[in-house]
Parts: sequence; C-alpha cells; structure tokens
Amino acid sequence: MPASPETPLLQARGLTKRFGSFAALSDVDFVLEPGEVRGLVGSNGAGKSTLVKILTGAHAPSKGQVFLRGTPLPAGAPLEMLEAGIACIYQHSSLVPSLPVLDNVFLGRQPTRRLGFIDRRTQRERAERLIAEHGIEVDLGALVGNLSTVKQKEVEILKALALNARIILMDEPTAWLSRSEVTKLHRTIRRLKSQDVGVLYISHVLDEVFQVCDSVMIMRDGRVVWNGLVSEIERQRLVDLMVGEKLGAASRAATHQERKPGGTGEVRLSCKDLTRRNLFTGVSFDLHAGEILCVAGLIGAKRSELVHSIFGSDRFDSGTLELNGAPIRIHAPGGAIASGLGLVPEDRHRDGLFLAHSVAENLSMVALNKVSRLGLLRRAEMNGAASRQIERLGIVPQDASRIVGRLSGGNQQKVMIGKWLEAEPKILILDEPTVGVDVGAKAEIYTILRRLRDQGTAVLVISSDIEEVMTLSDRIAVMVSGRILSIHDAGTITQDELVARIGGAA
Amino acid sequence: MARLRRLPNLPLALFFVALYVAFSLLSPRFNNATNIENILSGYSFMAILAIGESLPILTRGIDLSVGSTVALGGMILFDLSMILGLPGYIAVPAAILATTLAGVVNGLLITRLRLQPFVATLATLAAYRGSVYAISGRQLYPELGTKAIRDPWLLGVETYFDVGGATHLDRLFGFPFIPLSFFMMLAVLVATQIVLSRTRFGLDLKTVGGNPEAARLAGIRVDRTIVAAYALSGFCAGLAAVILVARMTTSTEALGTGMELTAISAAVIGGVSLQGGVGSASGPALGAFLLGVILIGLTLAGFSQYVQQIITGTILIGAVWYDRVLSQRRRRVAERLQGGEHASIA
Repeated sequence: MPASPETPLLQARGLTKRFGSFAALSDVDFVLEPGEVRGLVGSNGAGKSTLVKILTGAHAPSKGQVFLRGTPLPAGAPLEMLEAGIACIYQHSSLVPSLPVLDNVFLGRQPTRRLGFIDRRTQRERAERLIAEHGIEVDLGALVGNLSTVKQKEVEILKALALNARIILMDEPTAWLSRSEVTKLHRTIRRLKSQDVGVLYISHVLDEVFQVCDSVMIMRDGRVVWNGLVSEIERQRLVDLMVGEKLGAASRAATHQERKPGGTGEVRLSCKDLTRRNLFTGVSFDLHAGEILCVAGLIGAKRSELVHSIFGSDRFDSGTLELNGAPIRIHAPGGAIASGLGLVPEDRHRDGLFLAHSVAENLSMVALNKVSRLGLLRRAEMNGAASRQIERLGIVPQDASRIVGRLSGGNQQKVMIGKWLEAEPKILILDEPTVGVDVGAKAEIYTILRRLRDQGTAVLVISSDIEEVMTLSDRIAVMVSGRILSIHDAGTITQDELVARIGGAA
Repeated sequence: MARLRRLPNLPLALFFVALYVAFSLLSPRFNNATNIENILSGYSFMAILAIGESLPILTRGIDLSVGSTVALGGMILFDLSMILGLPGYIAVPAAILATTLAGVVNGLLITRLRLQPFVATLATLAAYRGSVYAISGRQLYPELGTKAIRDPWLLGVETYFDVGGATHLDRLFGFPFIPLSFFMMLAVLVATQIVLSRTRFGLDLKTVGGNPEAARLAGIRVDRTIVAAYALSGFCAGLAAVILVARMTTSTEALGTGMELTAISAAVIGGVSLQGGVGSASGPALGAFLLGVILIGLTLAGFSQYVQQIITGTILIGAVWYDRVLSQRRRRVAERLQGGEHASIA
C-alpha cells in the first residue's frame, strides 16, 4: 500500500531519450495514481512508443528516472520492471495461440515443483482466484487461438494481473476490435480501476479516450504539450494540440466536405447476388465512378472476404460481376489489376507491403510494366514514379530509398495507397485504410481519396470506424453477417442510426 | 470434446489400424510374429529419431543433420570399440555425448550466429558426414572393416525378450519377440511426453515455437530452449546410432543417409506442426511405425524399392498438406467464434 497519501503510484521525472542528435523524448514528467486511467495521445512519432519502451525497460532513458511509490526503478531492465508490477499489453498479441488460456496466463512463470514439473493445481487455483477477483469471464481450458480478439485481450490483462501488475500499459488495445468489443474491453478497464490498478491507455481513437480515461496527456515531438483531466479539454483543442494548428484545421476541413452520392452516375462496378457459401450471401450493389462507397459493419461481417472475392484473390460460388456494364470473370488478382481494379488490403504488414524493401520498390510493385521494358527494370523510371508518389502523398521523409519497415504507420499506409495510384486503377478498394494511423495522417489519406474520387475513380472503402464512415463516404452500405442490409446516401443517415443498423437492428 | 483433445492422434491411430488390416489381407506373411518383430526392430530406432526431430520442429525449426549425426555416433562407437578397444559402458555414453554435442553446435549456430535452422543444419548435414569419413576407422585400418564388434556391453542392446513366453500369451497366438530397442523407444516416448505436457521446459518449447516474441517478452530464455531442443535431437540420434551399430555389429560411413527425411516425415505425419508450437511425442512414434508398416507391407506385397520411395514422398506431401488444412481449420473456428459473438450481440 502507498507509503503516504502524497506518494504517487508511478512517477516519471525528466525522462529524456536521445538517439544520436535526435531527441525522441525530452523532459517528460507525469504521475499515475492508483485507479487512474490516463490517456496518452499523439501523432505517430510523437514519442509515445519511446515512453512505453522506457516504462517497460526495453530502453534506458538518457536522462531522468521512473519512481514506483517513491522508490526509483532501475533503467532499461525489462524483467525488473515486470517484477515491480508494470505490465504492458502490446498492439500485437503476445500470447501463444496453440496453448490453452491457463498456460498463457502464466507464460514463462508457471509455478513449478521439483525438476521443473508444472504445479497444475496451484496454477489453476491462482488463475481461478484472479478470475473471481477481477470478474473476467474466460474458459481456462480453451485454446487461445480459438478465442475472439477481445477475449484474447482479456487473457493478456489476466496475464498482467497474474504478475500482480499494479500498472498496465495498453498500446492501442482496440486497434483490431469491433465496436461492441471495445465496449467490453472498457468495462474490464473500469473494473481494473476499481481494483486500484493504474492504466496508461494509448490510442489513436479519441472517442475512446473521452469514454474511458480520467486524464489525458498529449505528446508532440517528444514533449508533453498538455496534461490534465479529460473533462477540462475539448475534442477539437485536443486534436489541434496533437497535430498542430495547421493539420488540425485540415482535419476539421476534412470532416466538412460536400458529398457526391452516385458520383458521375456512371456505374463502374456492379455486383449481382454474389454468394460465397458460409461467408456472404446475395450481395448486390453498384459502385459509381466518382463516388466513395463505404461498407460499414462489425469485424466479422465478412466484408474483407467479399472484396477479396471481387478482386480475384479469393473466389465466389455464384452471382455475377459487371465492369462498365459488361460481365467479367476475374480468376486471379492479375486479371483484376488488368481490368483496372486495385486493392489495399487490411493488414499492411502481412498482405500489403514488402517491409524489407525500399519505398521506391514498393511503390512500383503493381505497376512494374510501366517501369520496365523487355522484362528489365528501369531504375530511372522507377525512381521517377517513386518521387512522383512521394510528392503527391506527402510521404515523410521524402526519400525513395528508405526501407518501408522503418516508416511510421501512417506513412506505410500512404505507400500502400501510392503503389496502387501508380497503376492508375479505375476502381480502388481499400480495406480498413486508417487502422493504426494517427489523426493527421488520417486527414491526409481522406484528402487523397477525395482527390481520387474527384478525378473519377470509383472508391470502395471497408471501415469499422463509424466516424470514418460518416466523414468519408458519399454512400454507405451496411453489411451484417455476410449480407448487405441496406444502402444509404451518406447525408440521409445519422451516426446513431448507422450504429443501430450495424448492430443488426432492422 | 475435452476427451478427444487428449487423443490428438486418434485419426492417425485409426488410419494405422486400417492400413494394418489392409496389408494383412493383401499378404499372408504380413500379420505374423516374425513380421511384427521385423517392424518393431526395424522402426523403433526411427521412432526415437522422429521424437527427437519433433523437438526442433516444435520450436519452429528443423534438424536436417540427424542422419549425419547418426553416422557420427556410429563411427565414434566403431573407433572407440575397435581401435581403442574400450568397453561398451564407456564407448556408448561417449558416442551419445558426442551426438548431443553435435546437436548443441546446431543450436548455437542458430541462436548465436542467427542462421536459419534449415541452413544451419543443412550445413552440418554435410559437415558431420564429412567428419565421419575423416575419423573413419574403416579407412584408417582397412582390416577392421571386415571384423565384427564383439563387445558384450554394446551387443547387449540387440536383445529380444520373449514377452509372449513369459506371460504365456504365446499359447493364444504367435507372439513376437520384443526387441530391447522397442523398450528404449517406449522410455524415450514416455519421458518426452511427460516433459512436453507437464514441465516448464516442455511448455517453453511450445511457447518459443508458438510465438517467439511472446516468449521473449515473458522472460523465457529463448536461446537456451532452442539449444536444448537441438541437443535432445542429437541425443536421440545417438541412441539410434547405438541401436543400429549393435544390430550390424559394425558401422559404415553411409550409416543414416536419408534418415532425416523419414524422421521429419514421421514427425509431421504424427501431427507435429511445421508452423511450430504444436505436437506430442506419441504422434511422431506412431508416424514412424506407420511408415514402417507401409514400407514393409509394400515389400511383402511385391512393390520395388523405388516405388516405396515415391510413396514415402507422397505421404510426406499429404501430411504437410493436412497440417495446413488443420491450421486453416483452427483459424476458421476462431473466426466463426468471433462471428457467433457478434450475432449474439445483435
């Protein structure tokens, strides 16, 4: 228990981290009290990850110190930080899918008897006690790989609690969760609060910060630019502080754009009764030139499966596709690209980018025929194409030879979109284009998509982010459990109505 | 459901029985005591190799060098016994120690030099085989090549037990003599199964293979776990070498050539996922005997050696494909569960 009422649970004083001459973090102070949920927001590259890495002991600060109940903690010592009770839930799962929940909860620190035999009974008793204490419902015998994403996050929380964590850092915990799952996770966080656990909540989704956090800390360029109670700050001011006045204005402007339902009126792509057994049924819609059609729905509504079928990277069982009024059959992505389709897939690390290759190589990947002759690549044209897209998309740094894996999330996403722009598709499909992308980069991506639309490209966007759907779309298709429930002109539906429809209300 | 999970190899076991029955019907010489004895003595060492091989595969690696490691163990036994005249109770432990060290070298190449397991063990496959030629007592003293090892401690491994006679079961049907190597295999199987299912080390192996990053973040000593997996694979190769040398009463430079393919096949057939993190000890053992039944069955049914190799390759392709299907099904189950949850909310 606290040494004195004034001693904070966790305190950072003057944390500074320099990489060479670059200061990733300068002079950061903050406190975290027991039972406090503190939001941490900032653009990509603002220093959030560096701060987290110092708190988990992955980095040692160049200056400054972290105190736990007044006692200084060792710098750059991951195991000591864990033992001191600071746990972190990373964006990417740190569970083993092929093992049961019980083994995952005690990963690496199972209670053992002599000769390294696992003490199953103690392990189970301790897990059951934790579950009862924190009211987290989960089947200890289930394989983690068979659990839903939100359950997996709860297992990670349980794993942190098994370490007696008094402080839990959550790095983008909701990046892959659907709306109802987010609500569940927030319920769990509130329960942690009542158990006097301190939570540092990092998120790009500002709504969540306002929903679940008590206080918020805004970082920009390695500094804390604002620190205080959530009730004391307005959403717009928060955005301005995060991204700076200029980008803030841009993001504001991005939300107030004229809508063009139906685009030019010319039907580019028409799906008629597309069906894939066990996935989606009777999907019909028209996509017009010069409009942005958003397919809204929950994760698991089979929207990604639908667009992969359209793009030819997967198949469908029945139904027809029409391109510019003529029926076509697409058997492979190559055929789709030749017909003028482009697809920016959901998971950029897995499906979209060659992380170890340069920006230039990634950008020319789908338009190789434009930069090669007789099967030989022409470097000059490749670099020309690259600098064209870097300019057009505002990729930072403006360096075509930069390895893509080193770029921030927002810039990686721009590279993904850019490689399709080089192929000049007539129809561009984007699957969750702004997951893990900060507010500033989001606004830029919206602007890019709008510009495309205005040039007459038909844009199909899958998004689980309601706000994004409301901001970006000219028309909205609601997809629930593999069916298109309804299609709306974006101006005629309110956010609340949309949420209700997505939830399956007729 | 829970009870079925405890029998992960149920389909494999059923397939095994079906195949056994089929061969029995196909050839009158298949289901008799002599043939069962042949299968047991001919494939127990392979089951040991397969169990050993499954440990590196569990960590998402692979050990291609086991065949060469067997040869290394065999030749060291030969040299110690024939050239130095050392008794078996020294030569056998020394040979097994050497193959275990060969496994440690594999592990160090992978963890210290950060080599891909495939590349590291492909290199040592060649290097260990070369070492066998370099230390070969048959080359140094050609006259030894025609002599048999007579050490009783070593030859004692090639013993058969008349279990049928002792239990009087042979009065009911023709009961095979059980080779000692079969009991050695059972001991390795039981020990490995216990390690995998009940100990920290076993869980660490699965964790390292299942999610290396999670293992590192959980403070598991990933490198040490990997080295231990390859060391144990080497240890099993040593045991196999002892069994083989005891049977042949000599060793050759070519001992164990190509055995890595059979061992890997048996492990994969036995449900050890090449994606890491999933596997048991009984599966690979069953896989080895399944291959044995197929090969001996085909021989008795009159198929040529080459056809048998084609069939082994085909079975391996089938098993890898099945492994992929299984992991895809696991993913689909997860997605369906997610979908179900949304449906319940709606």
